[in-house]
Amino acid sequence: MTWLQLSMKEWQRRPLRTSVTAAGVAIATAALFSLLAFQRGYGNGVRNELDRLGAHVLVVPKGCPYDAASMALHGASWPCYLKEQYLVEVRAVAGVATAAPVFMTAVYDAGSTQTVYVGVETNILALKRGWRIEGNFPTHDGGLLVGSEIAQRNGWKIGQQVSLPGVQDQTGTVAGILAPTQGADDTFIYLQLADAQRIFHHTNELTHILVRLGDPDALDQVVTQLRGCDAGLAMNVVPLAHLFHTIQSLVNSTRVLFGCVALVALLLAGMGVSNTILMAVAERAREIGVMRALGASQGDIFRLIWLETVQVCVSGAMAGVAVAFLASRGVEAWVRSKLPFSPTDALIQWEWWVAAACVVCALVLGSLAGFLPAWRAARVLPMTAIRARGDRV
Amino acid sequence: MNHSPDTNDAVISAVALTKIYPRGREQVRALDNASFDVRRGEFVAITGPSGAGKTTLLNLVGCMDAPTSGILKFLGKPVQDLTERERTRLRRDQIGFVFQHFGLLPTLTVAENVALPAFFAGRQAAGRLDELLAKVGLDHRRDHRPHELSGGEMQRVAIARALINQPPLLLADEPTGNLDRATGESIIALFEQLNREGLTILVATHNVALARAARRQIELGDGRVVVPK
Repeated sequence: MTWLQLSMKEWQRRPLRTSVTAAGVAIATAALFSLLAFQRGYGNGVRNELDRLGAHVLVVPKGCPYDAASMALHGASWPCYLKEQYLVEVRAVAGVATAAPVFMTAVYDAGSTQTVYVGVETNILALKRGWRIEGNFPTHDGGLLVGSEIAQRNGWKIGQQVSLPGVQDQTGTVAGILAPTQGADDTFIYLQLADAQRIFHHTNELTHILVRLGDPDALDQVVTQLRGCDAGLAMNVVPLAHLFHTIQSLVNSTRVLFGCVALVALLLAGMGVSNTILMAVAERAREIGVMRALGASQGDIFRLIWLETVQVCVSGAMAGVAVAFLASRGVEAWVRSKLPFSPTDALIQWEWWVAAACVVCALVLGSLAGFLPAWRAARVLPMTAIRARGDRV
Repeated sequence: MNHSPDTNDAVISAVALTKIYPRGREQVRALDNASFDVRRGEFVAITGPSGAGKTTLLNLVGCMDAPTSGILKFLGKPVQDLTERERTRLRRDQIGFVFQHFGLLPTLTVAENVALPAFFAGRQAAGRLDELLAKVGLDHRRDHRPHELSGGEMQRVAIARALINQPPLLLADEPTGNLDRATGESIIALFEQLNREGLTILVATHNVALARAARRQIELGDGRVVVPK
């Protein structure tokens, strides 16, 4: 027998009460795990998504930059447009290595399935350096570059002439298929900019311009120049690094609030554990007195009760982490519905260090929560064992 | 009073042992100038009515409490001024306890209960455990839990537990108090057997049969040794 085994026996005595106590810790730990995992997942997701975009600056029509960024990243129909002639001014700004014009729109077929069309020029390839294309980038009218998911969904092959989903009487030829990117590009259909403008009746208009800089460190100067050019008043210049930090700041503010809630929940759970063990110590006063009479030292009793408390907290924490992970898809769906901007990547990611941090947190909590009951138990006098009735501690 | 000077064979030697408890503003003299010896190999019963001081005396002799005044020697060494840590070590290594209410831990098996004092002492006691379970006739019950045992069996487990660290002294507080007559007699017989094997036993009891089984009685009344027999 070891001290740990002896402390584990206590769970058998009042399994329901101990389990309910551990459940309190589990709920608080699940909240903490979800929060920490979300923080990492969200940050990584936004960063990956912006990296996949390949641009340092996003030039969009006037309006909310976050909405515009969300539309550019996830695909949507835009409510307003840029004049194509602004592109000339953007390209003229010193420090701009590539300015890729984009016309994007989303259409729905009879089955309410959304298809996103993105009109681009060949220079988009300078931004999308991670793309791997089976076949070719479309360079002729009617050519299409389709995302892996949409190609698979429709069963399209290279060279195949296809009807454009959601668009009446329009066809195209699959020139290339994108290898999976794990991003929104997998669901997009890319076509020549002019084709997109013509098909969707927005000649000489763009939805946004993706700008890549020669030197990313010159971001502030380039942004200043872009905002100061003649077209600057008619367009919104969004540095994506700033956008990332702004989004993170907003999320962090919310996270701090939820963090406080999780902390309070954890403290309450710790107090619940402490109270339960205190109650158990009072009920077991004579039994503890017997152990003292049989030769258990005050330190032995302290260790036993402390281990029991830590065991409840750590068990609860492990259960909480497991439950949080199993419920992460549901939580993620709920969080997505509440966030103004969320990346396509998983928001809550499993990370060993997060799980370990939660268990360590519960260990600390258990150590603190166990101190008072363990101290009181250690003070039980051995002669309590011999008294006619079990005295309260 | 039947007090004799320290002798080499005295396991317990008490001189003018007094214990005063505060009760509100009053002082209760639970034990008053009690002097007696218990020699090696003796089987002694402490008798007397309720409130006479039997439990207080057992608490003091068992090093579970310290006397207010007087001298208490265990195997010739004074123990009245020991620290809590020293008293714990003495209880663990030198004294076996048997309680009226058995005091078995309900979550442990018979074998685990018996081995508990050895566990506290950090000793392996597998061989001794088997020997004791056989001696009390419970080797077939070693994996049972206390609630699966009869009262007599529980007290046998408690006796085996008290002996696991091979103490020179066994203290028992009303060991037959929760048992029917027949079961009580079997426990008395076990005490007699243990005493014949050389164990020193000091037992506090109201049970006439148990007191008679003891070779000597110390009768207490109002905290004083009344009639040493």
